[in-house]
This record gives sequence, C-alpha cells and structure tokens, in this order.
Amino acid sequence: MEVRILSAKFDVKNSNQLKTALKHGAYENLDKLFAMQPAEVIEEVKKSGLRGRGGAGFPAGVKWGFLPKDTGKPVYLTVNSDESEPATFKDRYILVKDPHMLIEGIIICSYAIGSNDTYIYIRGEYTTQVKVLQEAIDEAYKAGYLGEKVAGHDYRVDVTVHRGAGAYVCGEETALLESIEGKKGQPRSKPPFPAVAGLYGCPTIINNVQSIASLPFIMKEGADAYKAYGTEKSPGTHLFGISGHVEKPGMYELPLGLPLLEVIDKVAGGVWKGRKLKGVIPGGSSTPVLLPEEAATTTLDYESMAEHKTMFGSGGIVVLDETVNIVELVQNLINFYHHESCGQCTPCREGLGWMKKITQKILKGEGSMADVDLLRELCDNIEMKTVCVLSAACTMPVRSYLDKFRHEFEAYVTENEPSVAEATEE
Amino acid sequence: MADKIKLFVNGEEVEVEAGKNLIDAVGAVGIEIPHLCYHPALGADGNCRMCLVGIEDGRPPLVPACKTPAQEGMKVLLDAEHIKKIQHDVMEFELINHPIDCPVCDQAGECKLQDYYMSCDQKPSRMTVPQVTKNKKMDFGGGVIHDQERCVVCGRCVRFLRQITKTGELGIINRTDDARVNIFPGRPIDNRYGINVVDLCPVGAMTSSDFRFKQRVWFLKKASGVCHGCSKGCSITIDHNKEKNKDDIIYRFRPRFNGQVNGYFICDEGRLSYKSENENRLTAAFIGKVEREISDVLTAAKKELEMSKKAVFLISPDASLEQMVAVKALAAKLGATLSGYSDGYIKKGDGDDYLIQDDKAANRQGLLLLGIDTTKESFEKAVSEADLFVNFASDLSRSYEQDALTKLLTGKKTIVCATHESAFNGQATITIPVRSYSEYSGSVINCDNILQRFEKAVTKNNELLDICEVAAEFGCPLQTPAEAYAELQQVIGMLKEYQPATIPAEGLNLNDSEAANVTA
Amino acid sequence: MSDRSQLISTGEPFEFDKKRDAEFERLIKRYPTRESMILPALWLTQEQEGWVSQEAIGYIADRIGTFAAKVYEAATFYTMYNLKPTGKYHICVCRTLSCWLRGKQEIVDYLRDEVGVTPGKKTEDGKFSLEEVECLGHCGTAPVVQINGEFYENMDVEQLKSLLATLE
Repeated sequence: MEVRILSAKFDVKNSNQLKTALKHGAYENLDKLFAMQPAEVIEEVKKSGLRGRGGAGFPAGVKWGFLPKDTGKPVYLTVNSDESEPATFKDRYILVKDPHMLIEGIIICSYAIGSNDTYIYIRGEYTTQVKVLQEAIDEAYKAGYLGEKVAGHDYRVDVTVHRGAGAYVCGEETALLESIEGKKGQPRSKPPFPAVAGLYGCPTIINNVQSIASLPFIMKEGADAYKAYGTEKSPGTHLFGISGHVEKPGMYELPLGLPLLEVIDKVAGGVWKGRKLKGVIPGGSSTPVLLPEEAATTTLDYESMAEHKTMFGSGGIVVLDETVNIVELVQNLINFYHHESCGQCTPCREGLGWMKKITQKILKGEGSMADVDLLRELCDNIEMKTVCVLSAACTMPVRSYLDKFRHEFEAYVTENEPSVAEATEE
Repeated sequence: MADKIKLFVNGEEVEVEAGKNLIDAVGAVGIEIPHLCYHPALGADGNCRMCLVGIEDGRPPLVPACKTPAQEGMKVLLDAEHIKKIQHDVMEFELINHPIDCPVCDQAGECKLQDYYMSCDQKPSRMTVPQVTKNKKMDFGGGVIHDQERCVVCGRCVRFLRQITKTGELGIINRTDDARVNIFPGRPIDNRYGINVVDLCPVGAMTSSDFRFKQRVWFLKKASGVCHGCSKGCSITIDHNKEKNKDDIIYRFRPRFNGQVNGYFICDEGRLSYKSENENRLTAAFIGKVEREISDVLTAAKKELEMSKKAVFLISPDASLEQMVAVKALAAKLGATLSGYSDGYIKKGDGDDYLIQDDKAANRQGLLLLGIDTTKESFEKAVSEADLFVNFASDLSRSYEQDALTKLLTGKKTIVCATHESAFNGQATITIPVRSYSEYSGSVINCDNILQRFEKAVTKNNELLDICEVAAEFGCPLQTPAEAYAELQQVIGMLKEYQPATIPAEGLNLNDSEAANVTA
Repeated sequence: MSDRSQLISTGEPFEFDKKRDAEFERLIKRYPTRESMILPALWLTQEQEGWVSQEAIGYIADRIGTFAAKVYEAATFYTMYNLKPTGKYHICVCRTLSCWLRGKQEIVDYLRDEVGVTPGKKTEDGKFSLEEVECLGHCGTAPVVQINGEFYENMDVEQLKSLLATLE
C-alpha cells in the first residue's frame, strides 16, 4: 500500500546532506522552473489538485491566486512547520530526512508567487530537527541554491528559520505570523486574510511543510503524475502518522483514498496485543472519533471523512483499543487544548478551563448528570464564537466522545446527587 | 457631513453614518451592541466576543460587530434568540471566574459587566468548580491599583499605553485563563495620562488610588465642566456630592468626550486638579486682617474705588469670558487700566504634543480676543502710576516672588478678589472671597480657539460671590449674566446664533468663523 | 498552564556573551523589524544561561528597543522558556494523547518514586528537573522523553533507568 513520492529519499543514508540529495535528483527542476512563467507554475500546481497538508486541506494553487497584484510591497512565503496537533509527526521526517526537498519546494513556490523572503516557522520542541534543517539551508546557500542568484538564475530567495517556543496555537497561520513579528501567538481576526495583509502587513502565503515539499515532484513529473495517486477529489499522497494502540506505529506515505481499517491492519499491524478496537481518531486529536463500525466504511480522503462527520485533518491516525477509558482520554484532550488556549477570546480562554474542571469533577466521582449535560452544552456554547478554531479543535472531538460514549461518563456520576440545575432552581 | 447609508437592525431600517463599524454606526442611533474590549479611541481588538451579531444572508453569518463595517443593505440581527443566547453565553464565560464582590467594588454602578448581567437574564451561576485565583490590590504605580481577578482581559489598558501614551508599561502575561495584566517588575506606570486606564477599564479591575472607597458612584452628581489645569481646556465631568450635614465636595474629574478638544482622555494632573477646588479655599472676607461681613467689605471696597484717582485692574487668565467682559466694562466705566498680565501661568517646556500645554491658563485666548493687554511692561507701568490695585482672582504668586510683589505694591491700596488662601491676601487692604470655576457657569476659549461652555457644578453651603457679581456691585454697566453674554455676542459674531444653553457640547471652533477677525 | 508571571531576579545585570552578541547581530539583519528578535533573543538567553531571568527580559527589551512588558508577555506565553533555573538534566515527558495511550504515566511515576522528582520540581541535588509537556510530535514512537533537547523515543521504565544511569 505504501508509496514513495515524498519519502523517496527517507531511507537513503545521509539524505539530509546536499551531496547525497543531489545524487538523488535534488534541485533538478530549477532550470525548468525559471524557464516557465510564474503563472504557469501556479497553473500546474492548481492542476495537480494539491491540497494544503496542514489540516484544512485548502487547494494550494488556489490559495496562491489570492495574492493581490502589484501592491508595491514585498510578498512573503511562510512555511508552517509548527506541527503541534497531537498525533501529527509527518513534517518532522521531511525536515530531517529530506530538507533539500523542502528548500527546493520553497524556491518553486517563491518563484510562483513572486516572493524573495521565506520564513520557516518551526516548533521550538524540534531541537535536533532545527539543527539539521539549518545545516541544509547553510549548505544550499554555499552551493548557490539560495541567496542572490538561485542556481545562477536572476532570482533571489532568502530563507530564515524562526523557532517557536512552545505554543500549539502558532500552527494557526495568523498566530504564526504574530509570533514571527515577536508577539504572543494570538490569531488575528480575518479579514484581512494573510494573502492581502500578512507578515509585517504584506501579502503572505503560508503553506505547510508537506505541501511545499510536494512541489518538486509536481514540477518534475507533472500534475498528472501527482494526480495519478489518490482519488479524484483528494489527489496525491500523504504522510500518515499512525499511533496509539497498534503493533507498528509510525509514519507511512500512502495515496489518499485507502480504506481506514485496512491501513490500520495491513500497514500498522493491527490493534496491538490482539485487543479489540474501540475507536479511531482519524486526523489528529481535534478530529471527532469514529466508532469501529464507522471506521469500517471510512476511506482516507477528505470526502469520506466529511461524510462520516469527521475530518481528514493532519492525517494523524490514533487507534484506541478496548481498554481505553474515554473519560480519562477526554480529560487528556481538554487538558491539552486548555493549556494551549492563547487566552485571547473569552469563550475559549474561560470555557476550556471550565470544561477541564468539570471533567476532573466527574472523574473524581463528584459529578452529577447535570455536569455531563453542562459539559456537552459548553461544547456548543464555545464553538465557533472565537477568532480561530482552537476552541473547536477541543469541542468537536469532546462532543463526539460525549455523544458516542456517553454511558462511560454516566458511569462516573453518582446517582443520588441532585443536579446543579435542581439545586439552584428555587 | 458624513455619507449616510441604510441598513436593517432586527428587520427595521435605520439610517447610519457610513465608514463606521457596526457598534459605532448603530450606537449613534441609539441601538447598543454589548461590548467590552472595543473602544473607539483604541480600535477594534475582537477578543471579548460580546459583540457577536448575526448577519442575515451573510458569510459568515456571525461576525464581531467591532470588526465589521456598516454596509448598505446589511441585515443585522441583534434580538434573534440565537444571538441573544450567544451574548448570554459569552457573558457567562466572562463571569465564571469573576469575583462576585460588587458590594465592595468601586466600579459597581458603572460596570459594563454588571450592566449586561442586569439587562440579560440574571440567571444564577452554574459555576460549581473552583475559580481561577489571581492577585489583588496590585500597585501598578501612577495612582492605579489593579485587581487581576476582576479583570476581563479586554486589553484596553494595554492598548492605551501602547497606542496613545506609547509608554507600554502594561502587558497581558501568560495565556489560557491564567492570562492577566501586569507591569514588568520595577517598571510601573510612569506617564502623565496613566489614570485614564481606570476610566477605560469596563469593570472594576483598574481603580484609582485617589478615588477608591471614597464614594459610591450612584451618589455622585454629574456636571459638564472644562478643566482649568491648562489652556487645552479638556472637557470633563465633575462628579460631586453633598453628603448630609456636609458641604458639596468634588470627588473626581473624569474626561468627557470631546472630538474637537481632548477626545476621550485627560491628563492625570488635570484629573487630580479637582482637589484644589475643595482645598485651601478662601471663604471669609477681610478688611485688613480683620474678618468682616461681606456687605461691610463691599461697602469699604466701593469707597476705595471712589477715592482712587488712578486704579489698575488685573483679571485672571482663568476667568470666564463673561467675567472678563464684565470687568472690562467696569474698568472702562471707572477709567481704570485693565491688565491680564499672567506670564507666571506659562511653564515653558512642560507641555507635550498631546494634550498638556505649557500655558496653565484656561482662557488666555479670551484675554486676547477681548483685547486685554497682557504685557509685563504695561502692567508694571500702570501699577507704578496708580494708587489702587484691584486683583480679580489672578494668582500673582505665579509671576512674582513675595518680596518683589510687596515692593511693586508698596504704597498702593489693594483690593483682592481671590478663590484661594494665599500669603498675598493678608497684605491686602480688602479681601473678597469669590467662586472658583466649579461654582459658576461660563465660557472659555482654549489654545486652539475652541470656545466651550461649562456649567455650574458645586453649590457651597456658604455660597460666595461670582466675579461678575462683584463687578456689578462695583457699578459695572453689565449687571446680569444675560447682559454679559449679550456683550459677548457683540464681540464674537459666531455666538449670535447661540444661547448659552445651545452651545454644542464639543464647543465652537472660532477658527471656522469670520468672527475670528475680532474687533474688540 | 500555570501562572508564570513570577519572574526571578538574579540581582545581577545581564548581558549577552560574545558568542550570543554576535548571533544577535547576525539574526537581526534577517528581519525587517527589531521586535521580531524577541523570540530569538529569548532563545539566545536560554542557550547562554539555561533559563530566563527578570534582568534578561529587561536587557532584551532595552537591546531591541521595545517595552519590557512586551518581552515579558512573550516569555510567559511561550512555555518553553524556563523562567527559573532547571536541573542539570531537564527531563520533559510528553503527556499528550499518544504518549498517554502508550504509558507515559509509568515513566512519570518512576521518576517520582525512584528518582524523586515531580513535575515542576528539581531533585535536591539539582541534577534532574522534570516537566510534563504537551505533544512533542513523536507520537509514532511514543512514549517520548526529551532530555536537554535530545529526544529519546519508545521509552519505557527500563530504558529510562539505563539512560539516566549514563548521565553524570
């Protein structure tokens, strides 16, 4: 089932080094690139159907088309390597195993959108990864692939690595921009969208590492070759991360559209320890959970996920075995999103802390049925009332656990205790 | 005039000004959209989420009104059940970690959160888990006390200090529900406008160390005043109260919005200048050093005026236009020389490029407009040739050392009308206490040639004479305020269209008028 | 998140050493605004001292030419900046979803019971400090532990035990 497009060089020894990368075709596309018109490049990427691999799945070429023309301001490219969504660990492999593929992708994208300055925003926790990436960038500068004249062509591309420092929310593209500007990573209200007013108020394109790293293949082999993988509406391949209760967790490159359970069984070795499946988180911790019977009819593409009222997300699949305590899992999730709330919008700032404490109360056996109801109600009260979707990233999955595993919450609730509503309704 | 557009609020068509956000646009026609973080002087931030409104057929259907420009034909939903529920829900989130200490909170009575709760559904709290605890009674410096637990993290204070004063003393520290406002240790609020954060705070998180615990706000009477701290003449609200068996006292000055003068803010010095209206006031009349009934003192003063061969009048640059025309008319009638000399009111280099002016006089433009000489040479020459010096409330101690003043006035009779106690009063032949600016109504012209009207705020138990009344007693041809105003209308053409009560709150810009070409 | 507003003062003035000074000057040219240096400067400080003191925050603000409150905001918002000295070995155990599913708690329990260190604290000898952190992005090799920036994947108590034994 596995394919090798993005991961073609992952098993090659020292693939992060320029010498090795060149042997395997790195920077091969640049002459072809600069012979094309930028608009032609954008057209080719549009044609490939490449969708943003950060989570939202927005078509990359279309996004580039939003850039206003001739503003007189510089255009910035920002590469999102914040990769902080729990269960997501794909971009890390690109950074370490094939950084030159990313750099080549940056050059392609820069030329297409008319940008000379790129910032790669990499999460602070990626300490060893940032080192490898920086070394690759330094090598590319020395060899003339970056700098004033990219590979001898009259085009400048400068790349700067900007390290985050422990904030999930900086994966949200405008929070990321704030962070590069030296501020707290608090998402901006949109409009204006970054393509119009992004980094330093200038037109900015923000793409995920994997999206950018897909460009060299599309340039080399053409849009049709890329589209040959995957489904019609979800073309290409994806670096899926499979974690949790499977025998062989790890990162696997797969075409889109494969059956979810088959992938878990055949690629990841099935549920570990011969246990039964309890549920599958299909695309990172923020995506609603699928029951085994739902997972059975789900395929790994944007459309099937939507039909099952969940999301493709980052492609981070988490397998839950029969021993998982769902209430504890929900506690773990809420703890995460509460910890990562940027503190800007009232519903998220105050609401996630409230949800966290209610869940604690239920887990301690001190909760009531009203608390379970309140927890469920708060999901609705918080969601979509905020600048960004961090709060929804918490409430969407939590709602799914409350709806699909409500009996587990109820089992914690002491039956004799009067509900809050009753106690205060006088 | 700004362009008008038509839009719908809850299905009803309203005409609003174009180019504004929804909060301001529909707010101007009396429809309030709840909000905490938005402030017109600080721009939209969008963090409180209280102003979420529905837009029928809109994409997205739910928008923050502070960030949404009013547009022609827009269908705004405010009272739909689902929008009201959102407002309630957001308010609930604001309240869950907010202490219920309204009974001891200074903001009670002018708290936005309290207002919204009262106008919403007043449901009991559903918070059955422990609240987040933070720090209380933090001294932020500059007369500002902070309570982190009451704070709704709207960031108005932070934005004010970054955008307006550009001093940036405050930040919002941490993230999550642990987010809180703080100073960086050792760098407290240190600018001349800091206390504005107290007014900006929509809740009781920022309190003024000067005002806190002094008075419940619902007991305060409010009057529209003009700050007399400098020539900017910022519009203020004078909050005062007369408690049972006590005198009418001012508790605070607050900025009153005036787009032509001070916007939404005032400086701290001006704000705290209310104290001098309460303190160190001259309340008794004297002949020599002997306290006497005011009627006796006026009789004695009139005798001095009759006996004088050559008198000099000095009028304060803080005096109202009405007082100035009255004293001018009196001087003309008595053949006295009138001076407005007051160089000492000017503190060179003290002003800034925002509100604070070097000139600490409230109405120097008035002196100039009425053609009253202000030069030192003329003043001293006139004094040297005179046998009687009458001072209408000008503070000469600002211009002269005590010795120099004594020397200047040696051998002259002196009549002093004063608002405050001073060493100079004791040396006067006759001393008459007069009202200060919070105790009369009048008009002043600020440094930018804006004429503003202010109303009488305080009525003291022992009400003093106004300078106009003193002048009338001395035989001024303008015997009533109405006559004084009519005289002003002769001098300032623009005033002909207005009565005192109809002068707009933001004042009259005399630069706009041909009356700027003054013929005194 | 817990409150991070309490800064620790060393009582000593702070400044970059020669190496960090040069790095600061090199990096600042990469950005069109000086404030973009807030995060990099905090990193340089942490690299130099192991943590970020009150004096360092003041220094960074003055060096960049921005408000100390702004640097204070960033230092407290981004949780990787240590606002107090850590142990010689700073152990970060991932506590999020996949690591939680695959037994991170056993590691935390071991560290508490056998090494004597609990989250947010240091061992008495100052050798180890522990922090439970959110997702480290190594979910496929969970549970993961990061010690002084180095990742150790597929951890269990036995492996951790031998690893800690190698640390002087």
